[in-house]
Amino acid sequence: MIVCVAVVGHQNNPLYIQSFTEADDALKLHHIVHCSLDVVDERVNNPKKSGPTLNETFLGLLYPTENYKVRFHLAYVDAVSNPFHVPGKKITSRTFAERVSNIVKSFGLSSAG
Amino acid sequence: MGREVSESCVESLLTEIVSQYCNHFYANKPELAARRIEAIGYQVGHQLSERYTMDRPRFSDHLEAIKFICKDFWSELFKKQIDNLKTNHKGTFVLQDSRFRWLSHMSLDPSSENSGSAQDPSTMAESKAAQATGMYLYFPCGIIRGALSNLGIPCAVSADISSLPACKLLLLNTLRCFSIEKLKLMVQTYPA
Repeated sequence: MIVCVAVVGHQNNPLYIQSFTEADDALKLHHIVHCSLDVVDERVNNPKKSGPTLNETFLGLLYPTENYKVRFHLAYVDAVSNPFHVPGKKITSRTFAERVSNIVKSFGLSSAG
Repeated sequence: MGREVSESCVESLLTEIVSQYCNHFYANKPELAARRIEAIGYQVGHQLSERYTMDRPRFSDHLEAIKFICKDFWSELFKKQIDNLKTNHKGTFVLQDSRFRWLSHMSLDPSSENSGSAQDPSTMAESKAAQATGMYLYFPCGIIRGALSNLGIPCAVSADISSLPACKLLLLNTLRCFSIEKLKLMVQTYPA
């Protein structure tokens, strides 16, 4: 199940973090997100090792299904296309938050069922 | 990609942006108007590049990213590709569009002010044309700079136009129409 969705900017600054369980606190989530970024960076800097999977690393390291990556990315692109969104600042769109939680919900339903 | 926008709306919007910024918001301060217009283009390019690279893997180097700009990105914006790409392999790229769409419906109608000038009228008119249309190029330059910046390539983009007169001047008082067609963009990337 999806525990947390995070969007991180160019300078590793958090643009959006949302947890979907009650247990973890925000600080722990930030930490986990930054640790997973290290894995991504590793893959980026060693192109020979990752090869064809390079595209996948940026859209979800572990999930086998393509669909969710595309939906998350599309929600992000739409949020960023908002003319009132300042690039590099946090994403404050409620629509984005709703779409993300809908994706997480449907993922939870399909994996449980 | 979903929704589309009428091209004539985009052209009218571009014309109006230039008019508003040059004649109202920053009247008599063309450099400020230019910077503001370029900044708007920058944000648009940033956002568009995010959308148009959704299905693609990361670019392996600067040249691949510039080629994306010349082909896919240019096609999305202008329904055609860049006609000519040159590089000195040291961070400078020259992109040439022989029929830049956003200027294709523009013509310059010089007033009778330049009668009595000692200079050759056609070159003076050409440079007037270049000056007048220059303002309309800040927005597209900003778009390209914003797109490349979002792809991880900070750069400077400048435009150079060579105007092709559609018809030659016969009499001094005859209405002259120039069609501004060829657009050359120079992209200067910064060393890492």
